[in-house]
Amino acid sequence: MNLSFFDQFASPCLMGIPLILISTLFPSLLIPSRNNRWLTNRLSTLQSWFINLITKQLMIPLNKNGHKWALILTSLMTFLLLINLLGLLPYTFTPTTQLSMNMALAIPLWLATLLTGLRNQPSASLGHLLPEGTPTPLIPALILIETTSLLIRPLALGVRLTANLTAGHLLIQLIATATSTLLPIMPTISILTILILLLLTILEVAVAMIQAYVFVLLLSLYLQENI
Amino acid sequence: VLHSTRLLHTSQQCSAPVPPLPEKGGEVRHGLIPEEFFQFLYPKTGVTGPYMLGTGLLLYLLSKEIYVVNHETVASACILAVIIYAVKKFGSDVAAFADKLNEEKVASALAVKNEAIKDLETAIEQEKKEQWRAEGHSFLFDAKRNNVAMLLETNYRERLMTVYSEVKKRLDYQVAMQNLKRQKEQDHMIQWVEKSVVQSITPQQQKESIAKCILDLKALSRSAQAAA
Repeated sequence: MNLSFFDQFASPCLMGIPLILISTLFPSLLIPSRNNRWLTNRLSTLQSWFINLITKQLMIPLNKNGHKWALILTSLMTFLLLINLLGLLPYTFTPTTQLSMNMALAIPLWLATLLTGLRNQPSASLGHLLPEGTPTPLIPALILIETTSLLIRPLALGVRLTANLTAGHLLIQLIATATSTLLPIMPTISILTILILLLLTILEVAVAMIQAYVFVLLLSLYLQENI
Repeated sequence: VLHSTRLLHTSQQCSAPVPPLPEKGGEVRHGLIPEEFFQFLYPKTGVTGPYMLGTGLLLYLLSKEIYVVNHETVASACILAVIIYAVKKFGSDVAAFADKLNEEKVASALAVKNEAIKDLETAIEQEKKEQWRAEGHSFLFDAKRNNVAMLLETNYRERLMTVYSEVKKRLDYQVAMQNLKRQKEQDHMIQWVEKSVVQSITPQQQKESIAKCILDLKALSRSAQAAA
């Protein structure tokens, strides 16, 4: 199959059957379900330890009310992490490269934090629009700026994740194409390009993990302000 | 929670007793292909059979362009290199870490048990000591009894002493009274005798004694002058 550069980002389809649901839910198959045993095998032990670590890290800055969000934030983190990392394998489709999916994750969650804040503590939530200690003449301009930044948050969350992953995948494809094209012409440059590709792959692994973490961290930050 | 790993119709569908977990996972060669595959092909094709099969399959796919070599091939080579490097380098450390987590769990439970045992042993020791102390109570009571008896004895002796001294004081007083009386009688008698003697000295006798004294004095003064 001759791949163009768009094929990696096209929604997967097999003989007319859309596979997008399977590809989104596939990572959940890789996580072993909880055993009733006290001492589990290595994978389950590591998974439990990892999930405990994430949940502790996310929940420490939050007060008691924020702990209701523990399940959704931890599962979101695991979900994004696995999807991003699996997308680095060849011929895989990464759902998080689609803007639609990321916005579908970002907008409801951000809106939930905003509405929680406006419902439970409206004056404190609105008070976040004005940082402390601003000089009086600047207040109107600053409120406008803060409102804009507040409303741009979901867009930023979704687009950040999309752009990072799409750019990474595209770069890998382009440099791989350059390598394979240069191989008969200038093998030495080809070797150099492969080295670059190796470094880029390592970077992409890091980016995959960091982007998932940043997404969830920012959401927990917005939650801290509003809960 | 649906135990999806539990076979629905082919097992007894009972959780207890839980069957033991296998110690190790299935044997895998090259991290991907289970050992059973090699054993399956061994009788017909020997040791190199599966490798020949793999190589042939790969060359077939490549030569017939069923698998097309494109940029994804290069990308997959890179990501596989990274994955294999990571697994080889950090695999054993991660496994040791997981084992350590389990070990700590077991160790903390054992620690609880051992603590309980130690506390109970200490309690037994203390109990034994208390029993020994209880045995010693009879000696304690004897000593206390002796103390009390000694105190009573001391008190009795003191009181005897007091009685003796009081009686002596009374008797001394009587003796002193008698002595005083006799003394007074003696003095009175002496005074009376002196008084009567003095009264009996007549004026004639007085003059004679004075003249004698003067003569004696003169004689004395003469002897004193002579001596000097």
